[in-house]
Amino acid sequence: MSPDGETADPRLQELVEGIVRLAAGDLEARLVASENGDEIDAVITGVNLLAEELGHIHAELEERVAARTAMLRRTQVELELMAKTDALTGLANRHLLSERIRDAIAATSDAARVPAVLVLDLDSFKAINDTLGHSAGDAVLVEVSRRLLSVVRAEDTVARLGGDEFAVLIDGATEEETLAIAQRARDALQESVKIGSETVWTTASIGVCIQRAGYSPEDLIRDADIAMYQAKSEGRNKVRRFHPDMLDAVLERSRITSELRSAAAGGELALLYQPVVELATGRIAGVEALVRWHHPVHGTIMPDLFIGIAEETGLILELGRWVLQEGIAQLGRWKAEAPDLANFGLHVNLSAAELMRNDLVDDVRETLARHGVEPRRLVLEITETVLMSRGAGEEQILHRLRDLGVGLQIDDFGTGYSSISYLRSLPADTVKVDQSLIRNLESDPRQHKFVAAVLQLIAAAELNAIVEGIETEGQASRLQAMGCQYGQGYLYGRPVDAAQVLERLRGAVQPR
Amino acid sequence: MAPVIVDGGKGSVELDDGGYVHLRWLPKVDIQVEDARAAMATVNEVCQDQPHPMLVDMASVASVSREARAIWSIPCSASRIALLGRSPVDRVLANFFLGVHIPPCPTRFFTSRDDALAWLTTGQAGPTA
Repeated sequence: MSPDGETADPRLQELVEGIVRLAAGDLEARLVASENGDEIDAVITGVNLLAEELGHIHAELEERVAARTAMLRRTQVELELMAKTDALTGLANRHLLSERIRDAIAATSDAARVPAVLVLDLDSFKAINDTLGHSAGDAVLVEVSRRLLSVVRAEDTVARLGGDEFAVLIDGATEEETLAIAQRARDALQESVKIGSETVWTTASIGVCIQRAGYSPEDLIRDADIAMYQAKSEGRNKVRRFHPDMLDAVLERSRITSELRSAAAGGELALLYQPVVELATGRIAGVEALVRWHHPVHGTIMPDLFIGIAEETGLILELGRWVLQEGIAQLGRWKAEAPDLANFGLHVNLSAAELMRNDLVDDVRETLARHGVEPRRLVLEITETVLMSRGAGEEQILHRLRDLGVGLQIDDFGTGYSSISYLRSLPADTVKVDQSLIRNLESDPRQHKFVAAVLQLIAAAELNAIVEGIETEGQASRLQAMGCQYGQGYLYGRPVDAAQVLERLRGAVQPR
Repeated sequence: MAPVIVDGGKGSVELDDGGYVHLRWLPKVDIQVEDARAAMATVNEVCQDQPHPMLVDMASVASVSREARAIWSIPCSASRIALLGRSPVDRVLANFFLGVHIPPCPTRFFTSRDDALAWLTTGQAGPTA
């Protein structure tokens, strides 16, 4: 009944009920229209149609939400993968490596087969990046990844920790198996890598740490890293297993690295000069510049303690640049103070990385010009190992240096692997014979004969000889008699600072 | 020509002498998507793919499903469509079609056959839907 007492159409009541059901969320609710086809039926039909539209929109919305949720889930999986892998190589990153190590440690049940971690650092990678560019460096990293994956087992994990540092989780192996995998990695990486027209070598120093009781993933990586640095300091391209004694050396090394970065800017580096003497006359023909680090706390540090680190960290380029600038500037000052010393030269050591520096020749030319020094007064000393393994790029730089008029000297002759036939083709003017060859010169007739033969060989290659490490008059006179032109050593004085060089030149030229 | 029965038997299509195509739905039928699709195919067949104005007799149709309504959004041989109904229910149904879907040609609802035919043949607007 309606409020005014009239009998209401029952369809209206049904309509109210239907709308209530729809409002309650039952979108499937439908009303049945009568056959009257009147306005009430029209309303019923309209409500049905609206309910149908609403149901459709609702379903569509749910479908979209489901699709978006699935997309978000996929993106999340991709992001997780990205967060755990290295973008360049696709290898695991440090985060994923730690996870895998943790799982491997937890799953260890056989004390004879425990997890182990290798940390690998490429030797001289920075030089590749610096000279051939970052895309070449990236190509090398990708190739290294491929090779590492080829030497590990399916259950092992290869990771890139960053830069040129990689790691391998050996997921349960005997000590012998672990060391064999490390050795395989070393062997695989020492093969040359072809990058476009260039061939580069990327040996690696490898540290090994085998799981011990109570070790966390971080401990394993840290100790493998320490062993890697030990391998590097022992001459690179080596595999070393972690030993607790290695920790002290690492702390020292890390301190030197950080302090060396600011040493040049802080005025802590200085050059000393050791005379190069013409044996026949005793005349000082020049000096070799030798770098010293005057550390504010630790006093004077000799180059053998920091040059190796400088080479590994790439600081050698800055250090070399500083030595070249400072040495040539000093030569310019000597020239101004003593114009009569027309044939006085400066010897500067050049590292392998510097020889790959594209701007080396321009730098040398500009520095010489800036200080008014003739190119012939500069002699660049390059070790025979560097000269023997020179690539096309370095060969070109050596020729450009020679064209400039700068002298080139083979350093440490007799300590590397020079073959005799190479001696004639090396782009050099003089050869410095290593001091180890003359140690028993006076007492051992066979050594005497051997040194004589070496000097004859150098003469036959039309090169001048200079012998370092001369300590006695006897050595000097014998070498002179054998035709050696130049000598260096404590007999002629220890390295001195710049101020003392002119005093020495003006004073006695005879050996002390 | 004789009316062609739409597959499913819920309607027929005929090309009228007046030059328009005439789709007739039977009273009280529920039109599903397959009925709409069959009707459209028949219209195209009867028109031989030549555009013709179309009169749709939908008086007393019980219901038209959502999917069936959507079928008439697809262009066919109809160049304009007059929906002819009688009751308020027809009007609601027709306007749901017009409001929810965008017809491919001019489409209007009429309750007067004469007005519908006039609009179909001359394009002159009669009473609005």
